[in-house]
This record gives sequence, structure tokens and C-alpha cells, in this order.
Amino acid sequence: MELQPIYIQILALVLFTIGLITALARRNVFFVLMGVELALNAVNLSFVGFAKTLPAELSVAGQIVPLFSIAVAAAEACVGLALVILIFRNSESVDSDNYSNMKG
Amino acid sequence: MLLHLLVLAPFAAAILMMATSKEDPKSSSRLAFLFGFTFVALSISLIAAGNQATEAIEWFRIPGAKGPVYYYLYSHGLGAWMVFLSTGLSLVALITGRNTFENNYRNFAIAIFALMGAMNGTFLAADAVLFFFFFEAMVFPAAVLIAGFGGADRKKAAMTFAIYTLVGSAPMMVALWYLLTVADNSLVLSLAVAIQNLEPSMQVTLLVCFLLAFLVKTPLFPFHGWQAITYAEAPAPLSAILTGAMSKAGVFGFIAWILPIFPLSMEIVDSMLWLGLFTAIYGSLMALRATDGKKLLAYSSMGHLGLAVAGVFSLSESMLPAVLVLLVAHGLSAGAQFYLMGIAERFAGTRNIEQLGGLSARNTVFSSLFGFVAVLSLAVPGTAGFVGEFTVLMSLWDMGPLPALAAGLCLILSAAYVLRFVQKVIFGKPARDYEDGKRMTALEGSSIGIMGVLLLVFGMHPAFITNALQLFDETAVQEMNKVTHQSDVATDATVEASADSLGDAVVDENIAAVAQPMTEDDLRQLDSNLKANGFTDEERASLIAQLKSMSESEVADAENATEFNEATVNEEASKHE
Amino acid sequence: MTNLPLWFIPLFPLLGTILLATIAVVSSGSKKGPSEGFVGALSVLFPVLSFLSVVLLAFGMPEEGVRQTLCNWIDIPMLKVDIGFLFDGLSRVMLLFVTGIGSLIALYSIGYMHGDRGFTRFFAYINLFLFSMVVLVLSDSLLLTFLGWEGVGLCSYLLIGFWNHDLNNCKAANKAFIVNRVGDIGFLLGMLCLATLGGSAILNYDALNKFIEMLIAGGHVDLAAPILMIAGLLFFVGCTGKSAQIPLLTWLPDAMAGPTPVSALIHAATMVTSGVYLLARLSRMFSVIPEALVIILIVGMLTAFWAAVAGLFQNDIKKVLAYSTISQLGYMFMAAGAFAFDASIFHVFTHAFFKAALFLGAGAVIHSLAGEQDMRRMGGLIKKTPITACVMIFSFLAIIGFPGFAGFWSKDLILERIYTNAPYGEFFYGAGLLTAVITAVYMGRLIIMTFFGEYRGSKESEEHIHEAPASMLIPMVVLAFGAVFAGYLWADSMGIKFFEHTLAPVVGDAQNYLLGKLDVVHVNPMTFACFGTAAAVLGMIIAYVVYGLKRQPRLHAKWGSAPEGFKADWTFFFDYIHEIFIIMTKVAAFVVDMIVDKILQGIQWTVGSIVEIVGDGVSSFQVRKVRVQLTLSLVGVVALVAVVLLTGGLF
Repeated sequence: MELQPIYIQILALVLFTIGLITALARRNVFFVLMGVELALNAVNLSFVGFAKTLPAELSVAGQIVPLFSIAVAAAEACVGLALVILIFRNSESVDSDNYSNMKG
Repeated sequence: MLLHLLVLAPFAAAILMMATSKEDPKSSSRLAFLFGFTFVALSISLIAAGNQATEAIEWFRIPGAKGPVYYYLYSHGLGAWMVFLSTGLSLVALITGRNTFENNYRNFAIAIFALMGAMNGTFLAADAVLFFFFFEAMVFPAAVLIAGFGGADRKKAAMTFAIYTLVGSAPMMVALWYLLTVADNSLVLSLAVAIQNLEPSMQVTLLVCFLLAFLVKTPLFPFHGWQAITYAEAPAPLSAILTGAMSKAGVFGFIAWILPIFPLSMEIVDSMLWLGLFTAIYGSLMALRATDGKKLLAYSSMGHLGLAVAGVFSLSESMLPAVLVLLVAHGLSAGAQFYLMGIAERFAGTRNIEQLGGLSARNTVFSSLFGFVAVLSLAVPGTAGFVGEFTVLMSLWDMGPLPALAAGLCLILSAAYVLRFVQKVIFGKPARDYEDGKRMTALEGSSIGIMGVLLLVFGMHPAFITNALQLFDETAVQEMNKVTHQSDVATDATVEASADSLGDAVVDENIAAVAQPMTEDDLRQLDSNLKANGFTDEERASLIAQLKSMSESEVADAENATEFNEATVNEEASKHE
Repeated sequence: MTNLPLWFIPLFPLLGTILLATIAVVSSGSKKGPSEGFVGALSVLFPVLSFLSVVLLAFGMPEEGVRQTLCNWIDIPMLKVDIGFLFDGLSRVMLLFVTGIGSLIALYSIGYMHGDRGFTRFFAYINLFLFSMVVLVLSDSLLLTFLGWEGVGLCSYLLIGFWNHDLNNCKAANKAFIVNRVGDIGFLLGMLCLATLGGSAILNYDALNKFIEMLIAGGHVDLAAPILMIAGLLFFVGCTGKSAQIPLLTWLPDAMAGPTPVSALIHAATMVTSGVYLLARLSRMFSVIPEALVIILIVGMLTAFWAAVAGLFQNDIKKVLAYSTISQLGYMFMAAGAFAFDASIFHVFTHAFFKAALFLGAGAVIHSLAGEQDMRRMGGLIKKTPITACVMIFSFLAIIGFPGFAGFWSKDLILERIYTNAPYGEFFYGAGLLTAVITAVYMGRLIIMTFFGEYRGSKESEEHIHEAPASMLIPMVVLAFGAVFAGYLWADSMGIKFFEHTLAPVVGDAQNYLLGKLDVVHVNPMTFACFGTAAAVLGMIIAYVVYGLKRQPRLHAKWGSAPEGFKADWTFFFDYIHEIFIIMTKVAAFVVDMIVDKILQGIQWTVGSIVEIVGDGVSSFQVRKVRVQLTLSLVGVVALVAVVLLTGGLF
């Protein structure tokens, strides 16, 4: 069975949905973060998949943007984790529902 | 280069200050003084260097706007002197703050430098968006300083200050945005041209939006609600900067933005004039009753700035130099008074003037300086305040004897409250027992003394100030035109026309004439202007006749009206040559 | 004769001020203070140097005066003013006695202020005052005169409130400054008024005179008269403030809170006469608005009479002299109103001598009684302090116009001119004569209560009464000499008219212009002299009968020894009129503070709280859980995308 581009997109969609659901459903902040990462990477996958379908001179963009977003995602993960650690220090909890200090 | 340094280097200095020790005010103060001195020197060389502009660098584009926003700095006499006030007062603030905020001096200095950078940007920006950016940016360091170093009620004061001033300038932002969608770019000239092509009702709406921001910042009655509490609760060095430099941004806005951009109708001018005068009287009356020393000074500032705004809207020939001298004089004298009040508060532990008194016996040098500065703020002839107030009074007298009388009443009231202030603070017997706080150090005393001496020098030779004044000279206008890159000849001509009229001291009448078809009043106004400029009777008569015939043939068309105004202005210019 | 630049004259006192102020500030830390001898020498040196340069210049002065422009002062569109000096007949006379008497009083003050904590500060102020006064008199333009004008007001404020530990002194000083400020605003507006007529160049005296000449020559007087009238009246308001005329007279009696040399120098001899100086300086302008002169005449008459009556009821020795100063100033204004500007300046000149001598004498009395100022506790001092008494009595004879003394010549001249020049001259002459009688009465009362009869103070204080030191006596004697002989510079009935000739180039034109319009009645000058003498003698007799013969003033037990510094005893209702204005201001301030401002704050906080309430309401939609918020925002995005996709855009 040849790898059809649509399969890649389907996989990306599945991964994205999983990531989204994880981010929304889990209360543990780490899981939320992981979900976000997963969704992000699903998008990357989708980019790469589309790069395959496009003609060669245009496909470069599809390959470069994921590189960017991986770099950004790494930075984002750093900041996110640092934030989580700081919040944990303050509130002694990793439960995202406890973080309601910002409310008016 | 100088301009870039003055605007950007304070921020760099603020960042560098972070590297210094938080615990050791000695080392950090040394660095801060060094920076402060450098900036004062830079601002003096800016004044000496005269008008100059930087290259216009395209900064960003606002979606929907026709042209880009430039990072474009332009220094004219007015802005340069305001920058001098901002750097000079910041330096003295750094000096007096050294003894007041021992523990947290570094953060104080950081905020002061940030504030200074924002103020310099406000006074030097040639681009409306850039101006607005800095105008808003001033608020934050100031609010942080109030919240961090202020008196007992500082949280409330900081919130009031920040919200009031930010909300006040919000309509201006909207108006600016709207203007950008119709103007070629956000430089003064393009805005002025754009406004002239709008509906009169739209013009008024935009004008009110702009006015509101400056009314709040100055502040004029009835938007002065934030002022007293802010000045009173802010640390004294900051109050000095706020009144000496930052509140000038309001008056500066009236002169450098409202007058060139908007065609002003007589009603607006009149109502602003009376608003200014009313504010002046209102502030003086409030100052008569104030018991909090800093509030008293806040209200006295309101009185002086009200007078300055009234002077601006008298729109006479000598308005610009008069108001500039008044502003510089007020910046120095009110600033010095706030510093001294801060030192008195540090010494006696209260700023309630009923609780003070007898300082002349306890702390002679301080009270000599206090009395000296108070006298300087009374506008006694020979001080810069007198030159400013007399010339403003002269401009007001042009509008009629009634405004001048009101201003005269202000001068009497100012004598009353200043004398009351002096009497309560340094004369008589101490109202209560207290431990002496820190005395005034020699450095503080001499820096405030220098401000006083400067006032005397400017009072005897105001040419130092007024010579630097050339708001929009030819080269600046050409530069701005170059930036605008006009290909359309007709528009170009209009720009030049209005630019020339900007160059004239009587900025607005001409613009008003551009916007509306010429009426009898305009002709009469023009006639008197020409007369003042030394035209002979025949010349005037022929010119007026020419104008009349033109206006009769093409009176309906506003654009044509623009053109023949241009013609008159050109003719005026050529006759001058 | 001499090429001395004119700016030397103000330079010396200015140097003195700076030097002494520096010494005062630097030495304030030390307990002992700087050496009094050194400071005293310095503080006399500078006025004397200034006086010498005036004398040098005075002898070499050409007829039309010397004009020098030092530099540019203000140069903006509409207002170009130079710092220039004008030394002519008028400023020569004024400068001579200002610097001369200033030097003498500086010398006197060394003795008087001996041991005071603010010794150096006092002399710094005195030098600053002399500087301002010299600038006032010497300037060639109204604006520079105004510099001196406000400057002397400022020094007066500083010196009245010199002993500032007593708040009453401060209040008196504040009152003086604020009342003067009211007058100054008149001056200021007057200048503006003139500037509308002929631009700022007209503020120069020469230009102004030329302008008036042009008006007269071109026959345009009627056109300009209304504006000139307003300007003239505004300047007159300025003069009433500085020279304590109705209605701004109340500050001068209170000003006696200052040290006595100050009262002598500032509040008798020099500063208060600057109003008269200004009138003479602007005589050319006033000559085309005779209506304003009538107003000046009436105000002068009322003030002279009023103050003389008020002087009858004072118990404080300095206040009697203060009211007498006001009254004499009234005479000078009457003279100016009867367009006898030279006579008014002549009276300024003679008055400076005898009034300064009187004040210094009073100061010596107060000094010898260790600060006692109440005349009811004096008496019989002629035995203890004979020199002071002689000085006082000579000056007394001068002020009441006893024949041969200085006051006789000048007062006589004024009355004569009023009779011949003024409209309804007979009436004003009568009023002037009546005032002269009252003057003799209250001055006689002062002399009798102070120097004759029995000493009424406490026994132990009697022991300490002593004659003043030499540094105080010398100036007094010199001034008394002047009080006797200064009048012979213009002894009209003896044919000596030196003074008139000096002033002729300055005020002659104006006077001739006015006199040309009316036919002068010729009366034998001796008649006036006789009437004047009779008035003086009558007054003395009344004073002797009423105060000298039997009626010793009884001293009520509860009367304090020192009269109240702030409260003027008898300014009739002018203090109350001022009070009305003050109360109006206070009410306005109260309304503004307690009502308008509170309403504004109310609005402000109402808006604030409405926003807050709305914000609270909105925030209750906020769900506590982060995840739910995230879900909601995603749903929102999806909905938005769906709408855009389905409808092809929102708009």
C-alpha cells in the first residue's frame, strides 16, 4: 500500500484531536502541556504532508515552516514548564482548576 | 545622532542601571549621576545645535492606514527646551532621591531614566503615532514610581493617575487611527492636509478627541481630578518632574499638534482661552485653601499652566516665545519648589503646612533657599517668570482687557498663596515638636540653587530661550515633504502652502482660511496681520482687492479656496523677500 | 566732567547684596556669626560708593540728561525692551537723596541692629532695596522701572517681616506685599494699555514723550485720550498701591512692624514716594488727560486729610509717623494733581529729610527705651536724650511748615500751586490748609507726649534710658540739618529757584502745556506764606492746649505695652473694605474647594465605580476553570471560522 498524502493528513488530524482532548480534558497541567505539544506537532506533520503533495519549488515552504515551529515549540515548552514550576511553587498543586487567582 | 541619543539612551541607561547593586546606593547613585549629567549636557548641546531632524525610518504600517509610521525625530526650539527641562529635572530628582530612598535607589533611578526617555520622545517626535506612543509610555514609569515610592495613599494615587491619563488619551488614539486612514502618513503636514479635506463636523469631532488628551495631561479644569492626589502622593522628586516636564506635554501638544493640524474656529479658540483662564483662577483659589504643601504646589502649577494655555490660545504674534518662557520658568520654579517641599517633608516628617513652621530658625540655609525660590515663582520682574507672564499678559491683552484682567487677578492670588505658603512653612514658631530628619545636603542645595540662578539669568536675558525658537522652519518643512514623496503636484502645492503658513507665527488663521471660504472677518484679520508685518496701505488694499475678486468667483469650491490662500501666502512670502 | 557709566550706580548695591547674602548664608551655621564691624563696614561702603558716583555724575550732567543703553533685555515679537538708563534732572534729585539717605540709614542701622541675629541678612536686604530703588529711578523705560517697582515691594516685604518668628510681622508683610501687588497689576495693565497704543517701543520714556508731542502737534489728542485716560488711571492705581493712597493705604501703618531704620528708609523717605516720582516721570502723558489729574487731586486731598485725622488717634509713636507719611504723600499727590510736578518732587525731597529724621529719632527713642513704642509710656525724655529731642523738634518744625524750615517752603509751594492751578482751587487750598493745622496738632501731640511732661514708664526702665550711640546720632544730625536747610533750594518767596530749574527739562513742558490752557490768578506769595505760618502756629497752640497743659493721657491697666503689630488702629473703614474683598476671595475659594471640586470628584468617582460595578458583573461570566475557558475559546474560534466560511466574510 502506497503512502497516500491523505493518510498523513488523517494521522495529523487524529493526533491533533488527541492533543486537543488531552489539553481540555486533563486537569494535570503537565498533561495539558503535553496535549498542546501534541497538537502542535500534529500541525507540523500536516505541513510536511502537504509539502509532499506540492510541486518541488513550493514544497520548500512546507518543509521549512515545521522547522521554525519546532524551534518555537521548544522555546514555548521551556517557558511553559518554567511557568508551571513557578505556579506549582506558589500553589502547591498541579491541578489546573486550582489556578483561578487571576479571576477578578 | 543627538536626537537618537536623547530618546534611546535613557532606556539604555535604565537597563544598565539594572546591573548595579541594589543594596549599595552609593555605587548606583554614582552611575546614575553620571548618566544624568550626560543627558543634561546632551540636551544643552541640542538647544545649542538648533533645529535638526533624523532620517525618517519606516517603522511599521498600521492596517488600514495609507502610509507607514516613521521613527522620525525632529527638534525645534520648543521641544529642545522641554527636553532640557526633562533631563535637568531628572538629574535633580536623582540627586535629591539619593537621600530620600536609601534602600531602593537603584529601582528609583531605573524608573526615572525610563520616564526621561519617554518624555524626550514625546517632545521630539515628528510623527503623530510616535508621539502618541511616547505620550502614553510616559504614564507607566511614573505610575510605577508613585506606586513604589509614594506616600501613604500611593496605590490609589497611582491607579487614579494611570487610568485618568490613559483614558483621557484613548479618544485621541481613535481619532489618530481614523486620521491615518485618510492621510498619506502620520507626519504633521499630511495630517493637516488630510484634516482640511474633511467635513467640518468631523473636524470638530477629531479636534475634541485630540483636545481631551491634552486637557487631561495639562490638566485643565474640569479634568484635573487626578492631579492633586497624584502630586501629593508621588515622591517629591517625581512630583517635580511631573509638574516641571510631564505636564508640559499637554501644553506642548496644544502648540505642536493642535495648532498646526486643526483649523480652529473662533469659538474653540475663545472657549479654550477662557477655560485656561478659569483653570488659572480655579487653581489659585484651590491653592489658597490647600493645607497639604504638595497639593498647594499642585494647584499652583494648575494656575500657571492654565495661564500658559490661555496664552497659547491668544494666538498673538508673541504667543510662542511668551509661552515657552513661561513654561521653562514654571518648570524650573515649580520643580525647585517641589524638591524643597520634599526636603522639608524629610526634615520635619510632615507635609501639612499647618504642622510645619519655624524652619527659618532651625534650618537657615534651607529656608533661605526656600524663600528665594518662592520669590522666583512670584513672577517678580527680573526673573524668567515675569518675562513669561508679562508677555503672556500682553498676548491676552490683545484679545481684550477682560482676559488680561482675569490673568491679573491670578497674579494677585498667586502672591497671596505663595506668601501664605512661605509664612506657614518657614516663618513663625514650629507648630509641634519633632525630631529633625535628614538635612539638605550641599549637593542638593547647590543643584536647586542652580535652578534658581538659571531663573534669574533667563529673566535678565530671555533671548537664551527665545532665540532657539523656530517651530517649523523651511528646511524642516522640505524634509517632511521629501518623506511624504508626493508625486501629485497639486497636493504638493497644498502641502507647501500650509507648510508656509505653519512657518508663519500666525499659524492657524491661515489654516482656518484654507478650510473655509474667505469671509469678511478673515479679510480683516489678514489685513491687520499684513499691517503688523509692515505693509503699506496701497499694497494691502490691492492685495485685499485681489483676494476678494478671487473669492467671489470661486467661493463655493473649498479646494480652490485652498489654492488662493496659497497664492496669498506665497505673495506674502515673496513680498517679504 | 566724568565718563562714569551709569550702570555703576546700581552695580554697587547689587554687589553689596550678593556679597552680604553670601556671607549671611555661609555664616548661618556658625553660632557667633560674622564680625559686626566687618559686615557693617561693607554694608555702608557700597551705598556710599553708589552715592559718590551719583555725586560725580550729578555735577557733570548736561542740561538734557545722560542716556545710556546697557544691553537688550527682552526681544520677542511685539515686545522689545532694552536695559537703558536715563539720568536727568529728575533722576538726579531722586538718586541723590535715595543713595545719600540710604547710606546714612545704613550707618544708623549698624547701631540699631547691633546684636541682632539677622544682622548680615538685614544689610543684604537694605542693599537689595537700594539696588531696586536706584533701578526704579534711573531706568529709561517703564518696564525696567517696573523691575525696580516690584523689587522695592519685595524688599519692603522682606524687611517688614524681618523678625519673622512673630507671625504678626509676617502677616503685616504679606498684607503689604499683596496690597502692593494689586497696585502693581494696575501698573502692569497700564503698560499693556500704552503698548496697544504705540507698540512696546512706547514704554520708553523718551519715546512716550515724543509720541505725546506728536499727538499734540498733529491734533490727535482727542483720539488717543480715552486710551491714555485708562492707562493713566491704571498707572495711578499702581501709584496708590506703592504710595499708600486711598484706597490702598492700609498696608503702610502695618508696615511699621519692621525695624525702625526700614520704616525711615523705605516707608517714609524713598519707596513710598516712587508713586510721586512716576507721576512726574509721566507728566507729559498726564498733561493731555487733565481729567485724570483732577481724580489724582481729589484722591490726594482725601488721603491727606484722612490720614491726618487718623494720626490724631494713634498711640504708637511709629504709627503716628506712618499716618503722617501718608498724609504728606497726599500733599504730593495733590501737587501732582494740580500739575505742579516740580513742587511735588520738591516736597518728596524735603519730606525725605525731615521724615527720615523723625523716624530715626523715634528709633533712637525706642532704642533707648528698650523696645517701648507706646507714647503713653514715654514723656520727659528731653532731659535724658537731648540730642534726639533736638533732632525730633527740628524735624517737627519742618513737617508742620514753620517758617524757615524745609517743610515750610515745599508745603507752601504746593498750597500756592493748588490755589492757582486747580479747578475749584480755593476749596482744595482750604482743605490743604486745614490738613496743615491737623498735622501740627498730631505732630505736636507726639512731641509733647514723648519729650515733655513726666516720664510715665516703669521706674526700673527709667534707669536704663540712654542716648543712642554715635553711629546712630550722626545720621540723625545730618538729616536734621537737611530738615532745616533743604528748603532753601527752592525758596520761592526769596527768589531762589534752583530746584525748579533742575526739573524744568523733565516736567516743564507738561506744566507749561497745562498752564497755557488757563489764566493764572496772581496772588502775592507772601499771602500764602502768612496763611501757612498761621496754620502751623494754630496747630501748635491747639496741641499745647489739648495735650500739653493738663491732660496727661491715662494709661489703662489692661493696655499692653506694645501696640499690636498687625492690627491697624484707625484706618477708618478701608480695612473693612479690604476685608470685604478678602472675604469674597475666601468665599470663592471655599465654594471652589468644598462645592465645585467635591462635585467634580463625585462625578469622577461615580464614573469610576460604575465602571467597577460593570466590570464585576462581567467578570461573573468568567468561569473558574481554566480548561472550560479554553474549551469555550476554542468553540468561539470554530464558530467564527464556520461563520466566515459559510457566509463568505462577516461584512
